[in-house]
Amino acid sequence: MPSLPLLPETAPFPSEQILALNRIMSGTSVEQRSWLSGFLAGVQAANAPQPVASAPPARRAPLTILFATESGNAEALADLARKAAGKLGFAARAVDMADVTPAQVAGAQNLLVIASTWGEGDPPQRAIDFHAALMADDAPRFEGLRYAVLALGDRAYVKFCETGRLFDERFAALGATRVAERIECDLDYEAAANTWIDGALTVLRAELGEPDAGAVIHVDFARAPAEAASYSRARPFEAEITEHVRLSGSRSSSDTWHVELSLEGAGIEYEPGDSLGFVPGNDPALVETVLAAAGLAGDRQLHRRLSEQFDITTLTAPAFDQYVRLTDAAGLLRQEGWQVIDLLEAAPHRLSEEQLLSLLRPLAPRYYSIASSRKSVPDEAHLLIAAVRYQSLGRARNGVASVDVAERRKTGDGLRVFLKPNPHFRLPADPERPIVMIGPGTGVAPFRAFMQERDALGARGRNWLVFGHRNYTHDFLYQLEWQDLLKRGVLSRLDVAFSRDQPENRYVQHALWDAQRELFAWVQDGASIYVCGDANAMAKDVHATLQRILAEQGGGDGAAALDALRREGRYLRDVY
Amino acid sequence: MVRRRWMRCGGKEGICAMSIDQRPPSANEGIKANSRFLRGTISEGLTRVETGALAENDQQLTKFHGIYLQDDRDLRAERGRKKMEKAFIFMARLRVPGGVLTPAQWLAAETIARERGNGTLRLTTRQTIQFHGIIKSNLRQAIRGINDALLDTIAACGDVNRNVIARVNPWQSRAHAEVAGLAAAIGAHLLPKSRAWHEIWIDGEKVTGGEEEDEPIYGRTYMPRKFKVAIALPPSNDVDVFAHDLGLIAIEQNGRIVGYNVVAGGGMGMTHGEPDTFPRTGDVLGFCSPEQAVDVAEKVVTVQRDFGDRSDRKHARLKYTIERMGLEPFRLELERRLGFGLAPARAFAFGDNRDRLGWVQGDNGAWHFTLFVENGRVRDAPDRRLLSGLHAVATLGVGRFIITPNQNLVLADIPPERRAAVEALLRSHGLDAPVRGLRRNALACVALPTCGLALAESERYLPDLVTRLEDELERLGLAEDDITIRMTGCPNGCARPYLAEIGLVGRSPGVYNLYLGGAFDGTRMNKLYRRDVDGDAIVASLVPLFREYAEHRSAGERFGDYVIRAGHIRPTTGGNRFHLDLAAELRP
Ligand code: SRM
Ligand SMILES: Cc1cc2nc3c(=O)[nH]c(=O)nc-3n(C[C@H](O)[C@H](O)[C@H](O)COP(=O)(O)OP(=O)(O)OC[C@H]3O[C@@H](n4cnc5c(N)ncnc54)[C@H](O)[C@@H]3O)c2cc1C
Ligand SMILES: Cc1cc2nc3c(=O)[nH]c(=O)nc-3n(C[C@H](O)[C@H](O)[C@H](O)COP(=O)(O)O)c2cc1C
Ligand code: SF4
Repeated sequence: MPSLPLLPETAPFPSEQILALNRIMSGTSVEQRSWLSGFLAGVQAANAPQPVASAPPARRAPLTILFATESGNAEALADLARKAAGKLGFAARAVDMADVTPAQVAGAQNLLVIASTWGEGDPPQRAIDFHAALMADDAPRFEGLRYAVLALGDRAYVKFCETGRLFDERFAALGATRVAERIECDLDYEAAANTWIDGALTVLRAELGEPDAGAVIHVDFARAPAEAASYSRARPFEAEITEHVRLSGSRSSSDTWHVELSLEGAGIEYEPGDSLGFVPGNDPALVETVLAAAGLAGDRQLHRRLSEQFDITTLTAPAFDQYVRLTDAAGLLRQEGWQVIDLLEAAPHRLSEEQLLSLLRPLAPRYYSIASSRKSVPDEAHLLIAAVRYQSLGRARNGVASVDVAERRKTGDGLRVFLKPNPHFRLPADPERPIVMIGPGTGVAPFRAFMQERDALGARGRNWLVFGHRNYTHDFLYQLEWQDLLKRGVLSRLDVAFSRDQPENRYVQHALWDAQRELFAWVQDGASIYVCGDANAMAKDVHATLQRILAEQGGGDGAAALDALRREGRYLRDVY
Repeated sequence: MVRRRWMRCGGKEGICAMSIDQRPPSANEGIKANSRFLRGTISEGLTRVETGALAENDQQLTKFHGIYLQDDRDLRAERGRKKMEKAFIFMARLRVPGGVLTPAQWLAAETIARERGNGTLRLTTRQTIQFHGIIKSNLRQAIRGINDALLDTIAACGDVNRNVIARVNPWQSRAHAEVAGLAAAIGAHLLPKSRAWHEIWIDGEKVTGGEEEDEPIYGRTYMPRKFKVAIALPPSNDVDVFAHDLGLIAIEQNGRIVGYNVVAGGGMGMTHGEPDTFPRTGDVLGFCSPEQAVDVAEKVVTVQRDFGDRSDRKHARLKYTIERMGLEPFRLELERRLGFGLAPARAFAFGDNRDRLGWVQGDNGAWHFTLFVENGRVRDAPDRRLLSGLHAVATLGVGRFIITPNQNLVLADIPPERRAAVEALLRSHGLDAPVRGLRRNALACVALPTCGLALAESERYLPDLVTRLEDELERLGLAEDDITIRMTGCPNGCARPYLAEIGLVGRSPGVYNLYLGGAFDGTRMNKLYRRDVDGDAIVASLVPLFREYAEHRSAGERFGDYVIRAGHIRPTTGGNRFHLDLAAELRP
């Protein structure tokens, strides 16, 4: 269920009416709401006191803002755009690609597309249907549609903003008119995205006659409860680390940490399924190496800036070209897996501070699923963080944020966090509904939150957890807690798969396959299936296995069956 | 010890456990009685993925299947903090009468250790192999692998007759065949009849649980405690024949075994601070013919079954039953059940209780190599690549692998034309290096980190201590003298420390009791010489004695005998005098 803008307390209604309206609103669909807004505008125009200003009855230009999102950034932008558009006099509606088909959009006159890219250049999973339909030969034509595309992405990925680009090209090919050049945003998208949105809206508006702004109700939703967390990515909350424990056994081949944060006074009202974000600090040693490689060793002040503000690992394509230009190292070939330091050391060159900084993008926040429920630990948020370490090109590489937390933070230190809501990964509204939670590795984090929540609420729905990792003895995260939940009947079933305990690797999908009959029974009892964790391998294998199970047990097309579950909101994923 | 009176029983044998003492039976008795012949809820427990353990009662029952629940004690401290239960692991122990394995079985064992266990094999003082570090999800697969290799773990632990051990002397092919054959026969005859092992580990248990069965020899509650049988063939006492509930001493006349002296009531275990528990050397009861041996074993078992203490497990072994009944009443009860009297014991003489390392050619021309395996632990060390070396030898597919009661391995029956090949492999894996006098006569029990009862290190510590002592012996010119030294991590006596010339028994981390004066041939136990000594103190106490020994020993005199002659320690003449005759400062 997409998060709803609610009436602010400031709305000109008695508070109980605000409550009532909000209650009704929260039950409505996107279509219903936009109809309502149009209707109200109409009524408003019709009953405008005669003859105040001899204005024509309000004719508000319709604007559809279509977003494709996985982790909510595109959706948040769509919401901002909708408000901005409202101020500019559009009858704007923000629509999740998950809820519409291209045909339903074909009717629109003005369209803003805000789309992110996932996997290796894939559309967000909830936009897959729309994407497919749009790319299909029988896709509708869009003559008369004016549109512009905002693409979200991450330059660390080869297929940067792929999905946005494809949408842009496809709409043009299908006869729509591009009114503004596509913008491709990196992780630090906010500023650029906002300016672009304003620009795009002005262009669209210029092509319409001045609408009657007078008839449009300006409501500033900025302080609406849904967005109340006054702490934001721009203004993070300094949370104290009250617990910092390495859960992985001392002989584990992995390094996973349980971190408890105090949110006292932050007013961060997270829900199970949400994540916390924070901007990490760089490894001081690496900062020094980079500075040295650039001939800037020992610059204390620059050292601080690099540590706190810049991404000193990711080598983006533009940065590479930039460096080649700066150092006219023409013919230098970019190697797979290169980071900034590899480039600097492959073709050493003294750089000025500006030159170095021009190669670096701002340090982006990292996100961690919240592993606790406020109902069980008020004023706290727990995180489960796996330190990312690997060898590549003869160098030991450390994940910036995860290793920052694992190695450089301790109990008592602070972490500057902000809430990253994930309205698309929530417990079922119905406490009776059974759920199946598939969460190997750190993917189990949100399910710990789910269980704390359902436990606290006394929710009666059955809960089935499928956990996996490398070794039973050393990697069974939160084992004692699961034992307790099972004993108390909160957790109804637990299946595990530990890949390295026996000659043949065993993963969660194997556990699912072994339990397919029961799994299918749960699905038939209305269970929702949740998947969290690794996007590259795990989520894909589990997806395929679920399809096979639905086919095997239900007969018929497993893919279609799983798709149907997804549309019903009973197959939810939070993968990274 | 609680004194108890006994009634002789007239009636039908088996139903005459006539203790008139009213103490309640120990908890284990109830567990056994209600276990549906050793099934309990083991199968159900194996399906519980949230824990690596099994239910309390089932932990007692798996022992009868040769399986122990343990936990890695090195990890205990960290577990709670990490929100994880103890690092539970299982130990599985094979049943290998006489310790004889085929090369194929050795390879199978090695594979199981690598794929399901901690990658090592542990040769035990009862001539078998222990697998350590098997987690629950691998347990069934491990046992199936064992079954596929035509082996099993039935009755390797628990209140039943344990693996029957026997003299390893393949170079006397005929005598060895007879002794090993008798070990197998007794093992088979005293094996529990319950199908539980196969149902639980191999076939998968019928949900209803096994059909009613019967244990003709044991009955529903099996033995009051473990029961152990050993067969010796003088002059070697490698099995420590006096350390077991039942010992059989083969009497050989011109190459034929004409019968066996029967020894009863041996045992090593005791508890610190409880003088009514003590190690005991068995008593020689008499002589029986080879044909009677199995029957004698069965009847000794049934007497102990009916007269053993079922209330207090600390006094439940046959040695205490005999102490309580008196040797004569025990013999009478035994002979009543046998229906014949034992003949007078025949003369015998033991020379030692050790293994002689290296190559020997047998009477049938085949070659045999006794390989030193320090403390029985088979693993690859940089300089001694045991696991790989034995793998290579096993793949030659020749001969037999015989585990000795001293935790070593005999590569037996190597055809003369293959000896060179085996020798080459031993050399290339660093397995032919000479071992000095103390080390080749050293035994250590497992202890930490797997043994739940360990109070101190043993297997992981003795090698270092021996190195320190050997350096001293070197200086005194005793480097090549055979002196037996045995260490255990607690007083249970798994490495039979009380039968060593030098015994070290764990008290607490880093701290041991030092015992001296055991006989080199395993016929006399040692006695407490120093209490609560650490490594330095052990070396400090022994070095002066070694020096004296080097200077004053008479020709061929053994260290264990010397310390007695020189008055450093009093001889232990019997189990019930083990705690007596101590130096004043050591008396309780
Ligand atoms: C592996 C082995 C020692 C070795 O280094 O080789 C061993 C290891 C253990 N013994 Fe033993 N005993 C071993 C031979 C002995 C011997 C020597 C013998 O049998 O020749 C004895 C002394 C003889 C005797 O039984 O009196 C022995 C007397 C004990 C006792 C004390 C029994 C008693 O009645 O006093 C215990 C504790 C108990 O049973 O309560 C014990 C218990 C144990 C356990 C199973 C600990 C436990 O009960 O939880 C040890 C497992 C440690 C581990 O992690 O592997 N073990 N144990 C030997 C395996 C023999 C086999 O293959 O069956
Ligand atoms: C919504 C969401 C929720 C999340 N929840 C959690 C959570 O609960 N717990 C958790 O631990 N993480 C979680 N993550 C992942 C987390 O945000 C970070 O991505 C992760 O911790 C790595 O960040 P880092 O700064 O440590 O590593 P970075 O410095 O960002 O480096 C990571 C990058 O290194 C490269 N890399 C990593 N491993 C290898 C390898 N073996 N070989 C080659 N290259 C490699 C990849 O390019 C990878 O993107 C979540 C992510 C999202 C989007
Ligand atoms: C697992 C994962 C895979 C991603 N793959 C890509 C990619 O292939 N190309 C790209 O440009 N961005 C990629 N991104 C970056 C996202 O597009 C970026 O974070 C965007 O802001 C997410 O917007 P959303 O929250 O609306 O989904 C990926 C991010 C994650 C976590
Ligand atoms: S002697 Fe004690 S410590 Fe050693 S293995 Fe036996 S029970 Fe364990």
